[in-house]
Amino acid sequence: MSHTRADLEIAAFAVDEVVEGTLTGWDGTTLLVSSPQLAVGAGEPALAEATVEVVRPGDRVRITNVLDAVVPDVRADDSAASFPGVLGGTWDDTAHPRIHRLNGVAVLPVCDWEGAGLVGPEEFPPSYVDMAGPAQDRSPWGSTVNVVLTCAPARGAAVADVDAAIRRSALELARTLAATTLDATPTDVRRVGALPDADPDLPAVCAIVQVASEGPLTDTFFDGDDLRDLMPRMVDPAWLTAGRLTNGAYDWPGVRNTTANYQDLSLVRALDRAHGQTLRFAGLILAPGYLDTAEAKRRGAEASAALAAELGAAGAICTTFSSGNSHTDTMLTVRALESRGIVTTALVCETNGGLTDHVPEADCLVSTGNEDELVPAWTPDRIVGGGDGDAGRTIAMVHYLGSCVETGDGPWTAVPV
Amino acid sequence: MTVVHYLNQFFAGLGGEEAADHETVRFDGPHGPGKALTAAGLPIDVTVACGDDRFALHEADCLVTLLAWIEEAGADVVVCGPSFGSGRYGYACGVLARELGRRGTPVVAAMTPDSPGVLASEGAAYIVPTTGNVAGMRDAVPVVASLASRLASGAVVGSPDEEGYLPRGLRANVRSEQLGAERALDLLLAKLNGELRTEIAPPTDRVAPPDPLGDPAAARVALVTEAGCVPQGNPDRLPTRHTNIWLRYPIGDRAELGPEDYLSVHAGFDTTEANRDPDRLVPLDAARALAEAGRIGRVHDEFFTTTGVDTPVAVSTRMGQEIGAELRNAGVDAVILTGT
Amino acid sequence: MGIPTVFITALPTIAQMVGANRIVRGVAITHPTGDPSLAAGDELALRVRILDRAVEMLAADVAPRTVWEIDA
Repeated sequence: MSHTRADLEIAAFAVDEVVEGTLTGWDGTTLLVSSPQLAVGAGEPALAEATVEVVRPGDRVRITNVLDAVVPDVRADDSAASFPGVLGGTWDDTAHPRIHRLNGVAVLPVCDWEGAGLVGPEEFPPSYVDMAGPAQDRSPWGSTVNVVLTCAPARGAAVADVDAAIRRSALELARTLAATTLDATPTDVRRVGALPDADPDLPAVCAIVQVASEGPLTDTFFDGDDLRDLMPRMVDPAWLTAGRLTNGAYDWPGVRNTTANYQDLSLVRALDRAHGQTLRFAGLILAPGYLDTAEAKRRGAEASAALAAELGAAGAICTTFSSGNSHTDTMLTVRALESRGIVTTALVCETNGGLTDHVPEADCLVSTGNEDELVPAWTPDRIVGGGDGDAGRTIAMVHYLGSCVETGDGPWTAVPV
Repeated sequence: MTVVHYLNQFFAGLGGEEAADHETVRFDGPHGPGKALTAAGLPIDVTVACGDDRFALHEADCLVTLLAWIEEAGADVVVCGPSFGSGRYGYACGVLARELGRRGTPVVAAMTPDSPGVLASEGAAYIVPTTGNVAGMRDAVPVVASLASRLASGAVVGSPDEEGYLPRGLRANVRSEQLGAERALDLLLAKLNGELRTEIAPPTDRVAPPDPLGDPAAARVALVTEAGCVPQGNPDRLPTRHTNIWLRYPIGDRAELGPEDYLSVHAGFDTTEANRDPDRLVPLDAARALAEAGRIGRVHDEFFTTTGVDTPVAVSTRMGQEIGAELRNAGVDAVILTGT
Repeated sequence: MGIPTVFITALPTIAQMVGANRIVRGVAITHPTGDPSLAAGDELALRVRILDRAVEMLAADVAPRTVWEIDA
């Protein structure tokens, strides 16, 4: 059995330069960005202010209070269907989505929740991207041109309303930037869709991607709806590429997923590439992490394993979302898969205290890095996003957005010293 | 160079077990083993101390105070201990080291390799391995002094083998040529081909939680303790520390473990209150009440005892396995284990 | 399959570190299942409550290295 996949085309545009000016547009390979013209946050009563600023690799800037990273994408075939649900449009199963995507540029929404009095002190760990200095390469977004969207909550606005406004504004900005290319010629066009038949002797491999949705500021969204009641389900990888899965979780930036990860999962790319060569890509399962009780965790793990078995998987790759007891969900899922004879590999980050959880069946692990490792201190010339940014102090790896992401989208890993 | 020294109540000269509850305290200059460190070339500027029990039970508050004093002193390095085989003192040293590590302050400690302080430090401290008891002071002091002076001056420290400290179990981040997802695919395909590779080796001694009791009302429950509870006179001479034996004693029809008949010979805590009522360590009277009420089926007819003081992990593992085998043979369904 | 065991100790963090799975936080290091500040009858009642909690934990499906307080 294999699931059907939407026929999707991604037209990618290399961006050589991003220039701020009076217009937002596309000129050859230059992206023009006009903050006043963009009027981000207009019509969002929950935001007192929203500003746009371009920050480039090499700038001696530390971006703080970074909530998310978004790849500028637009549905060229139906702009309203970009980031379905959040931006008001809907997904059409019969459509052949054509996405225009900017390479090397990211939208980074920023909001100082604590400064606005919406969360308590120490409630959200610092979230940084350094554009230069010793930690520039700890976050992938130290190497992209970032269009930083700084949002200030309106006084008295409810935190969930502010969050929804920020997410809408960020995704809207991402769409607008990508939409500058609608009449332009792409650098590269890639089609993904139904996979060709492959040698049945190749092992069938599925991916199980863990997400978490625990309430405002710690949610994950599908078509704009939270996933608090998610039970393991099969999803079409094209849905993720097309922006149906978006991030609203802002804690522990180094280890939880961003919208940008979902838009372009390296794991899906790798499995698509390997399909027909070394394996058959059997499908993608979306699974919940941080289930509340030992019993619920076991049920969730069994449900994931049952789906993998339904897909006929001989092997499975499990990702993890963030740290703490989600690692127990991962480990129990590994156990449930192995108990059905499905060979399993899992991706987890490490701490200075070793693994957060482990089961004997988890004998094949990828380390996405040590989240506790201290990165050398740096004093930037400028801080974008508020706060003192821990300037001049050593900072743990976990505070850099995407540094140890357990979907395997990053290059960092840990080795013994 | 400013050096701060952390001690427990005993080594700071504040008292023995009865002072285990001593609040945090700060002195100028060296105290106790700090004088030996000073003589060995590491002058101690400030000594901070805390009772072992005080730290164990009020960890957060003690840390706030100790860390503030250490920061105020402007420490270039902190020495914790030597704590030798002491569990609680070692733990305090390890936790303090971990917190100092997060603040970028180098720490040298000294304890047995089995001490809970090693795990607690999470690799933050350079830990010199010692004997279980104070006799190891003479060997430990020069190594600690040498390491600490060099760390304070920012000198590079060699490997564990070269320098004589325990491997710190640290894992450092490096950039791989491949993304994690690509490595996952490679590892999975290898595993499918029968070749097992992993980037993280499993921890060696974890046990999964056994299945829960299905029917407590029918269960035979055994009492086991490391609190060193034995019949008066300690007839079988359970060692007060560093034991490698465990013992078993019939409970018969006893309703409780009374002070006339039982006592604790554990050398690691103040046994005064426990000796007034040994049920405070091995809760037989309450277990009987539960059996009477039908909450559990029955109390197993003997209890198992040892003293958990300076016990190497390998020895306690063996004792646990041996006791477990006895319990299994006797049809025991569950265990209530008490510790101090 | 192991025998379910609940460890009553006033130092649950150490218990977690060495891998105990069912842990109930005891009253004090020197009297994990007692409280000398209470009158005898009250102390026994406390002890029964502690053991009852321990039995509850023995019958519960727990994640590894779980600590429960005496009162939920």
